[in-house]
Order: sequence, then structure tokens, then C-alpha cells
Amino acid sequence: MAVDPGKTVDLAHAMVMKPVAAADWLVVAPVVIPLVFGAVILMLRHETRMHASIAIAALVATLAANIGLLARVIETGPLVMTMGRWLPPFGISFAADALGASLALVATLVALVCAIYSLSDIGSIGRRYGFYTFMLLMMAGVGGAFLTGDIFNLYVWFEVFLISSFGLLVLGSEHRQLDGATKYAILNLVATTLFLTATAFLYGIFGTLNMADIARKVDGLRDTAPLMTLGVMYLLAFGMKAAAFPVNFWLPASYHTPRIVTAALFGGILTKVGVYALLRTLVMLFPPELALLSGLIAWVAGLTMVIGIMGALAQTDLRRALGFVVISGVGVMMAGLALGTGEGLSGTIFYAFHSMIVMAALYLLAGVMNGVGGSYSIRTLSGLYGAHPMLAAFALLLMLAAAGLPPASGLWPKVMLVRASLDAGYPWLAFTILATGLLTTLALGRVFILTIWRPRAEERLAAAVSPRLGYTVLAALSLPIVIMGLYPDPVIRVAQIAAGNLLDAAPYIGTVYPGGGGQ
Amino acid sequence: METALSATVGIFFAVAIYLMLSKHIIRILLGVAIFGNAVNLTIFTAGRVMREVPPIIPEALIAPDAATANPLPQALILTAIVISFSFFAFLLVLAFRAYQELGSDDTDTMRVAEPESEDLPPLGY
Amino acid sequence: MAADGHWLTFLVLMLPFAGAAVAPFLVRSFGHNAAWLLALIPAFMFYHFTGFLSSVANGETVAAGYSWIPSLGVDFSWYIDGLSLTFALLITGIGALIVLYSGGYLKGHPHLGRFFSFILMFMGAMQGLVLADGFLTLFVFWELTSITSFLLIGFDHVREASRRAALQALIVTGLGGLSLLAGLLLIWNMTGLGSMSALLEAEGALREAPLYLAALLLVLGGAFTKSAQFPFHFWLPNAMEAPTPVSAYLHSATMVKAGVYLVMRLNPVMGDTVAWETILPVFGGTTLIVGTLLAVRQTDLKLMLAYTTVSSLGLLIMLTGFGSEKAAEAAVLYLVAHSMFKGALFMVAGGIDHETGTRDITKLGGIGRAMPITFAAAVLAAISMGGLPPFFGFLAKEEIYAGLWQGSGWSGLITLVAIVGNALMFAVGFAVALKPFTGPKVETPKHAHEGPILLWLGPLVLGLGGLLTALASPLSHRFISNPMASAVVGEPVEISISVVPHVGLPLLLSVMTIALGITAYLALARGREIMAGTLRTIGWGPDLGFDQAIGGTVRISSTVTRVVQSGRLDYYMTATFIALALALFVPMILFGELPALPDFPSLRFYEWTVLAIAFIGLGAVLHARDRLTAIVSLGIQGFAVALLFMLLGAPDLSFTQFMVETLSVVILALVMTRLRLSPTDHRPTGEKAGDIAIAAVCGATLGLMLLRVTQIPFDDTLSAFFAENSRAIAHGRNIVNVIIVDFRGLDTLGEIAVVMIAGLAILALVRIRAGKPADARKGGG
Repeated sequence: MAVDPGKTVDLAHAMVMKPVAAADWLVVAPVVIPLVFGAVILMLRHETRMHASIAIAALVATLAANIGLLARVIETGPLVMTMGRWLPPFGISFAADALGASLALVATLVALVCAIYSLSDIGSIGRRYGFYTFMLLMMAGVGGAFLTGDIFNLYVWFEVFLISSFGLLVLGSEHRQLDGATKYAILNLVATTLFLTATAFLYGIFGTLNMADIARKVDGLRDTAPLMTLGVMYLLAFGMKAAAFPVNFWLPASYHTPRIVTAALFGGILTKVGVYALLRTLVMLFPPELALLSGLIAWVAGLTMVIGIMGALAQTDLRRALGFVVISGVGVMMAGLALGTGEGLSGTIFYAFHSMIVMAALYLLAGVMNGVGGSYSIRTLSGLYGAHPMLAAFALLLMLAAAGLPPASGLWPKVMLVRASLDAGYPWLAFTILATGLLTTLALGRVFILTIWRPRAEERLAAAVSPRLGYTVLAALSLPIVIMGLYPDPVIRVAQIAAGNLLDAAPYIGTVYPGGGGQ
Repeated sequence: METALSATVGIFFAVAIYLMLSKHIIRILLGVAIFGNAVNLTIFTAGRVMREVPPIIPEALIAPDAATANPLPQALILTAIVISFSFFAFLLVLAFRAYQELGSDDTDTMRVAEPESEDLPPLGY
Repeated sequence: MAADGHWLTFLVLMLPFAGAAVAPFLVRSFGHNAAWLLALIPAFMFYHFTGFLSSVANGETVAAGYSWIPSLGVDFSWYIDGLSLTFALLITGIGALIVLYSGGYLKGHPHLGRFFSFILMFMGAMQGLVLADGFLTLFVFWELTSITSFLLIGFDHVREASRRAALQALIVTGLGGLSLLAGLLLIWNMTGLGSMSALLEAEGALREAPLYLAALLLVLGGAFTKSAQFPFHFWLPNAMEAPTPVSAYLHSATMVKAGVYLVMRLNPVMGDTVAWETILPVFGGTTLIVGTLLAVRQTDLKLMLAYTTVSSLGLLIMLTGFGSEKAAEAAVLYLVAHSMFKGALFMVAGGIDHETGTRDITKLGGIGRAMPITFAAAVLAAISMGGLPPFFGFLAKEEIYAGLWQGSGWSGLITLVAIVGNALMFAVGFAVALKPFTGPKVETPKHAHEGPILLWLGPLVLGLGGLLTALASPLSHRFISNPMASAVVGEPVEISISVVPHVGLPLLLSVMTIALGITAYLALARGREIMAGTLRTIGWGPDLGFDQAIGGTVRISSTVTRVVQSGRLDYYMTATFIALALALFVPMILFGELPALPDFPSLRFYEWTVLAIAFIGLGAVLHARDRLTAIVSLGIQGFAVALLFMLLGAPDLSFTQFMVETLSVVILALVMTRLRLSPTDHRPTGEKAGDIAIAAVCGATLGLMLLRVTQIPFDDTLSAFFAENSRAIAHGRNIVNVIIVDFRGLDTLGEIAVVMIAGLAILALVRIRAGKPADARKGGG
């Protein structure tokens, strides 16, 4: 061919010719907004007073975009937008389905509430050294992970939120933080590197990185390619990111060390990205392999639940106990993955929404309790009922939510998972889910009676922090918990649509490749 | 070629993992650096290998007229190298700061976040 | 499903929760007299339910509700038949009296408003429980009763005993609740039926289901813990830590009967099997005897009553499970009688405590003159409890004996258990009702005098209720006993017993019971000593076992956690890489995903050289005994990789690799001057061997996997497209660069973000020093 680029080339075979509908920009908005504002805050590094308001405004905008995106996805099915308008699979596609969009929405809600609580938790030094930049970039990474349709791009977003979480974790440089961060950083680096290695193999097998492309090619390669080993590698890498037993060490080693608002962000959001990635890869890309792994994953799920809640029972420090409660919840979510059925997966997805909100709320509750009671240790923290009955109400609600009792949101996903376990012939898994609920009641019930009800031995601490801001954020998180507990139907519908999109990837593939083109 | 590279990759991984299993944070960091190289070689090899022909279109042509090395893995590795280098740098500084503050580079003695001697939580009510 | 006119019932179901919301405000305005207003709530509910009496008496039932969670096929639905209606009337009727009584009992308490809230919430939960039709509606209310009772038992939260009792009740009934949930979901799963009314219609479906026994055991797990059957009985007496109105309401008249309710509800569909007719009488009978024996031991009025409640619950379970129609009728009569007399007696005990300052029976005597109305209420209730005519308890007792005795050995044993249990309850009941009031006057901490109307109205009404319902037995049978018994049996039944004694075996057994009861009453002090001695000898009970179970759980958890979360990075890394080795090795072998044997690679000389340099570098890193060697060696392997990239057609990559390796070496050199590189790796030989093995397996399997992957024909669609379009459309000759900045530009954006954040994080690490500037700790990250 002669050197006359451009003019004579037919663009239609390479690019999406249709202009991108304005509304389709919604697909990238949850990533672009925090990314841009994170950079803005970085530029205004020394204007620490403005940081919080910019971050909150950015998160409100992101939340609005997320709501719009989810509404569109529910209404019209998955949405896709390919960067640079290249035809998929050649460019990087962002593909939002109900799963990604809903998780991104809940994550942003949690982040917004945490940003509000950070007003009282993060001082000027923390701001100057980038708290809000880290936070927004973490949210950009998380949003990118939920919405991207390209597996290498997923790796990149994982790294974005991981490095941001490093920044959040070390901010303050206390001894505990440096110790916890060392373990967190090394172990998580191993996890993402394994993810990258698996992706290298995947590319070697499929010659493509677009997930919809992989999904439609996978059946043709099943006889020749080592898909089982690949599936197990993803299970290990993402299982580690999700903090599933036996690769959960990094979480209890670090989550109790940073500022409480950071712990709330992490505890609420990060492990669920791992769960999401497990769902996306194993359920959508490798369903037959997942079916063969079902028994193994069921064991992982059961052990994660039990080891997690046992860890919580063994702790004296409230924050450390909560880290283990997070792990126990990951086990519950893994149960739905093991079952692989529609009801099981919708249970897992619902539980992910619930767990994001409840775990963040529990960490923030611990923060408020420390603020008014002066300690995180259940040995010394006590006597909160008398002066702070509202705090007791929040504590009770969150305890019920975590344990899966009415009238809070935890009940329904557990009911769905128990039913699905019985249906799939895993009665022991159903038993483990329920037993874990009871042990959670015990663990948090003990915390409740010791810290809230037990009278304080000595006189009240003089300088207590006002819990007003804490009450506001706890109320903001309690509201969805109660609504999801009393009227779970809309959320279950979303979870069912999301699970349906995973199990039957045809609409997702169809959106990325309208008319099956591009190959 | 792929066979030799696969074996090389295996050895890189083995050495990296052996170093990372050490208790000394500096050895772990050396392991992390090698780990990164191992993964990059994996990506490279997974995209199949072609000797000596860089994926650059000659000045006179609109598209390469002969087979070239696979450009996509190279692009992926470029991204991965930069990312893993950023992580490596962060880890180094973190290790350094941890050593400064905690006075140890032996991970067995880094027990601030999860202290060694812990009592049972209160058993009363 | 939703039907017009049912909205009122729905409203009534929600009303107590609304009441709970306003209670604290009413108390703020009206003080303890808010009780009069708040009692209107249960009174209205009671009135609402009386409207169903005649239609239900005619054999009609109401099953209605609203669609709640259609995506799960769950409705919010209720079912009104004789059984649930009677329960609803007891709950609301006694509830109204309890609200009044609470006003008197907790007069002046700083948290009276909160108390009213809790008790109204409980009332709503309990009412929902008995009326619920859908399984999940039932479960939600079931758990709400546990949660509200947790709050009520722990109401006096400054006392450790209260906190312990509250947690104990929460855990024991929580255990049962989850068992019940499992059972209900299993039933749903097996039969496809998710509501009580549907289950009752498909009568045989459940009994013949394959997992009937499992479902039965799970459901009974719920019923037995809630209704305090041995060996789960211990939480109920401990729950007496709650204020007395709670004991009178939750722990005698209502919540503890939830288990009995459930068993009665399921009797038509789960009963009439060997398992049912064995498990229920055995557990019920044991509970009856254990409860009465323990009641004899007590000196605290409330504890005496609590243990007789345990025995009464045992009796009810035993009767329901016995299998004869008359036994079921007896259970119905006894349940109604018990709710009235036990509620009354608890309130009496509370009144005595409130007015004298003690409820130790050995420190009370002769207060009858000072508290005549309370005394009268106590005697009325005790007569009913003792089963004497002309009270409702008498009807129940006659029917019990008529129902149990069938001439066989088994029925003889059960009858004997009933006689002994009833006799001991007779003794304890009269001890509570007579001992404090009669005999010589004993000095009490407070000077005894009659309490205010709020304190004696409730017991008096309930005491009289036991009399009136018996006198008007045709009426109470028609509207209460018959419909309820029909629901329990599953077909219409007619109860004929009246206060006029009929000569016959039941009467004879009654007389025996009374004679035995009087003997026991007279020998109560002696019996108490014997029981105390026996219990001391045994030394262990489930109550102590609870502490041990909690302590044991925490200890085991701690031990397990120490092992799995050791706090050592070395351990974490080892476990992670063992997991990796297994994750690669096992599926590769199991699913035959090993590569085919390749030919020996034919490399050119300089390629071998580069690989050799890389391996030398790696080897040197492993063996480096000083910093400089380690750094240089690391550089060597890095540069070797860069050379390799250069040879294999990746000049850009090679250049970047050179840059990055150089930078790494520089930074390492800077940092390493501070960090110690010990000349020897301190790993002991055994550990070293293990680490080598793990590393070798991981390395080998990763290498094999890569080889396996490269043996598959490669799909180069993407690269072909990039080659074709990179200059034509994207105007770049260097395809790699075009991919980075255009085709996959988003990756690069993320990469830039990573670099930026890493820089910022490093800055934060270096600049913030904990503890140095004062505000760093306070305001730092």
C-alpha cells in the first residue's frame, strides 16, 4: 500500500461510526469524575480547607452519575463504550451491566459517607499529604474495576486502587501503620501480580483481552486450552483480593491500623472488588470450570465464614474484630459463587451491597464509640448507654444487620443463600451460613453488652468528641440498611438482573458486539 | 524459543518466590523485583516470540509487509513495568521507613500491628 | 392476594410499633400515667380481634395479606383461625393489663418511656408471630421477639446478671430461631409451600416428604429453645432479671408460649407420626419433672414461678405431642388457664417485691392484712393453678387426665409424670400465694401496704378471669376452646367439660394430685433442702454449661486465630505460595493440562549467552553476602532481561527495562545503605528446604503452564488489526506506541495515575513522622 494514510481508508471496519450518545458517557463518568477531581485536589495541595468540599462534591457527582447509569442499565440492558471509538475488541471497552453499575453505586455511596465523616477524622496534615486524592483515586480505580470490559484494563484499575489504598494506609506513619502497611503491600502485590500472570496466560490462550470476546470464544477453546488451571489461578488471585481463607492474612494484619475512616472505606469496599472480579471471571467466562470447582469453593466459603467469625470472637480490639467480620462476610459471598445458581448469585450480589454498607457503618460506629468512650478495647470501653442512647440504637441495628437478623438488610441475602444451598444439595453450607450468623450474634452481642451496657468503672473521660457528625453518617448508612431489611424487593430485583447477566452473557456480548461483528 | 523462555520464566519465578519467602525484608524486595521481571517475560512469551523484527512500520509503507514481533504484549509490558516499578519504589521507601521506626528489617520481629502476647478478650458479661 | 377490608388487620399488626415510637414522648408529658393511654393500644387490638370470634367459632378462617417480596415469592400474610385468634386475644388482653401494671411498677423510673417502647415492640412482634401465615413473616416476627426480649431482659443493664441473662436468652433463642429458619426453608424447599395455610391445606404433603425428620428436628429446635424445654430451659429463670412486668408478660404468658404455638400449629401436618409422638412427650415430660423439682429448690418468688413456668411448658408440649384428641383439648384448656393464673401470680410477686422490698419467701409472712386485694388475686390465681373447682385450671386438669390415661403402659407413665408434676406445681403455687400473706408477720425491708390500683388491677382481673371463664364454660368453649382445639387437632372438635365434677377416673386422679400436692406443700421446706443438696452434689447444670460454652468458644477461637493469623509475614507468604503451588499443580495433573513434551530449544549462541547472564545474575542475588553484590546481581539479571527484549524485537521495551532497572538499582543502593543485608540467610535448613520446594514447584508449574499456553495455536486478530490500522488510521509507525497512546490509551491513563499516587504516597511516607510534630499524630492521616 502506498503512503497516503487516512483519506482512502474505510474507517467502518475499524471504528464505531455512530457518534457516542451523550448518555453513554455515563459509562465512564464514575471513573472520570473522581480521577479529575483527585488531580484537582492534588494541584491545590496546600489549600487543605477546600479539599473536603471538593471531594464531597466530586463524590456527589459520581453518585449521581452512578444512579443515572444504573437506571439506564436496568431499563435498557448493558451499556458499552469503547475508548477511542475503536471497534471492540481492539480498543478498551467499558461495559456496564447491572452487576458493575450497582456495585459502583453502592461503593460510591459508602465513599461519600466516609468523606463526610472524614471531616472530623482527617486533619490538615492528612489532607496536605493527599488523603482526598488517595480517596478519589481509589474510587476511580474501584469504579474502573467495576465497569471495564477489558481484563488487562481491570488489572490496571486494580493497581490504581491498590496504590491509592497504600497511600491511605500509611498516612500518619504510626508504627502500627508502617507494620500493617508492609504486610498489606507485599501480600497484595503478590495477589495482583498473580492476577497479571493469569492474564498473561489468558492472552496467550485467547489472543484477546476483551471479556465479551473471551466469553464468546471460550467454548471453542475448551478442548485445547488449560482452562482449569487458568480458572484456579484467577480463583486464587481474586480470592486473595477478596480475603478468602486461606489467603486472607493481609486484611486482619492491616485494617485496624489506619484512621478509622480509612478502615471504613477499606472494610466496606475493597474486598467486594475481589468478589466482583471472581464473579466476572469465573461465572461469566468459565462457567463449566466453575461448576467443577464448586465443591472446592464451597469449602473455601465455609472455612472463610467460620475462621472469620472465630477471629472476631478472639479479639479485644474492636477494629480488629471488625476486620474478621469482613472476612466472615466474604465467606458468605463465596457461598453463592460456589453454588453458581441464579438464586445463589443474586444472594451473593445482594450480600455484597449489604456488606459494603454495614461494614463501613460498623467501622464508623467504632470510630464514634472511640470518640465518646476513648478506647477501641472492649476491655475498657464501657458505659456508653447512659450518655449516648442513640449510639446504642445504631450499635444494635448494625449488630442485627451483620448477624443477618430482622429488621436489617442481612436477613434476605442469607435467606436466599440458604435456600439456594438447599436447592443445590449443599445442606452443610446452609448450616454453616446460619451457624455463622449465630456466632456473629455472639461476637457482636458480647461487644454490645460490654461496651454499651456495662457501666463505666471510673469517671467519664473529660474530653470526649461530640458524636453529632458520627450520628449523621450512621443515620445515612442505617437508612438503606433498614429499607433493604423491610422492603428488599427492589434490591433483590437488581441483584437478580445482575446475576442473570452473569449467567447468560448473551446480552452483554450482544451489547459489545452488536450483530456479532468485530471478528 | 518459547520452550527456552518458558524454562527461563520458571527459574525467574522460582528464584523470586524463594527470595520472597525469606524473613528479611530486603530479600523480599529483591524477590519482588525479580517477580516483576518474571511476569513481564511471561506476558512477552504468551504473545509468542519472533526474533529481531520490531513492530515498526517502515517509512514507505502504510502497514508492515512482513510478520513482525507481536506489538500488543510489548504495550502491556510497558504499562506493567511502569506500574511495578512504582510499587517497587513505594515498597522500598516503606521498608526503609518501617526499619527507621520499628528498628528491624526482620519480619518476624515486626509485631506492632499484631502483637505477640495477647490476652483473651474479657470473658465476663 | 390483598383484599379490601384487611387493611384494618394490617394496621392492627403495625399499631404497637407506632405506639413504641410515641411512647417516650407520652411518658415525657404524662409520666407514669401514660400507661392509661398506651394501654388503649392493646385494648383496641383486643377489641379488633373479638370481632373475629363468632365467624371463627363457626369454623371460618381468614388468610390474607399483601405482596411483600414478589421477587422471592414472599408475602406479608396472616392467618386467623381458632389457634391464632386465641393467642392474639391473650397477647393483647394480657398486654393491656401489663402496660397498666408497668406504669405502676416502674413509676418514676428514668427510662420508663424506653421501657414502654420495648414492651410495645415486643407485643407487636409476638402478635405478628402468632398471626403470621407466610414462613418468612413468621420468622421475622419470631426473631423480633428474641431481639425485644434481649432488650427487656437487659433493661436493668448496669447489673452484670441482667447482661448475662439477656445475652443468654439472645443466643439460646437465636440458636433456635436459626434452626427454625432452616426447618421452614427446608419445608418450603421440599413441599413448595411457603405458608402455614397452604401447608394445612395440603395435609399429608409434609409427613410423607423425604426429609420429614430433618425438618421436624429443625423446627422443634426452634420451638424447644423458645419454650424452654429441657435442656434449653436455663435461660428462662435467668430471664427473671428483667423487670417483673416483663417476666409476667414475656416469660409466662406470651413469648415462651411461641414454641408451644408453633408445635400446636404444626400438629395437624407434622403430628401423628412415631417421631412426633415420641420426641414431644419425652422432652415435655422431662421438662415438666425437672422444672417442678427445680421450682421446689427456689426461695425467690419469681424464680419459683419461673421454674413452674418451665414445667407448664413441658406439660403443654407433652400434651400436644401425646397424640390423642382429648390431650390436645387439654393442652388448649391448660394454655388458656396458665396464661391467666401465671400472669397474675407474677404480677402478685412483683407487687409484693415492690411494696415490701423483698421477694424471698423465707423472709415474708403475714402481709395479707396489709395487702388484701393482692392477697385475693393471689389466691384466685393459685386455685386455678392448683386445678381446683370452680376455676378454669380445674377444667384443664380434668381434661388432661381424661386425655392421657388410655390403659397402656406408655400412657400410664405419662399420666404418672403429669400427676407428679401437677402436684408439685400445686404445692409451689400455693406456697407463692399463701406463705407471704399468712402466718406471723415478718419484718420486711419496706413497710408493707397495698399498692396503687395500677399494681393490683392486672392480677385481680386475671385471677377473676380464671373463675369467670370456668363458670361460663359453655361460652368460653364455644368461642375459645373449641375453635382453638379444632385448629390444633386439625378437625372440628367439641369440648364438653364443665365445672361440675363428674365421677370417674379423671376426678380420682385429680383428687390424688391434690392430696399429693398438699403433702408436698407441707413438706416444701424439707424438699427444698433435699433438692439443694442434690443440686450441690450434681454441681453442674446447663446454665453453668452456657458460660463454659461461651468461654470455650472464645478460647478455641483464640487458639485457632493464633495459628491462622500468626502475625508473621513469613508465615503468610509461605501459606500464600503453598496455595499457589497447589492451585497450579493439582488442576494441571487432575485435568491433564500439562504441556506436550517440547523439542530441545534451538537457540543461537548469543541467545544462550543472554540467558546464561540472567541466570548468573539470579544465582548471585541468591548468594549475595554483601549489599553491593546483591545490587549488582539484581542489575545483571535486569539488564539481561532488557537484552533479551532487544534480541526479540522489542526495542522500546528493552529501553524502558534498562531505565527501570537502573533506577531500581540506584534507589536500592540509596536505601540499602540503611537496611541490613545479613550475610547468611537465617533460615534453618529444614525451613530452607521447604521454601526451596515451594519455590521450585511454583516456578516449575508456572513455566509448564506458559509452555502449555504457547503450544496452542495463537489467535493474532488483534495484532493484525493493530498492524493494519496503526498507520492508516492512527498515524503512527511504531505500533507499540500507537497501542499505548491510542488503542489502549486508557491503560496508560491508569498507569500515569499509579505513578502519580505512588509519588504522593512516598512523599507522605517520607514527610510525615509520627509523634514528631504535635499535630501530625492528631491530624495526620
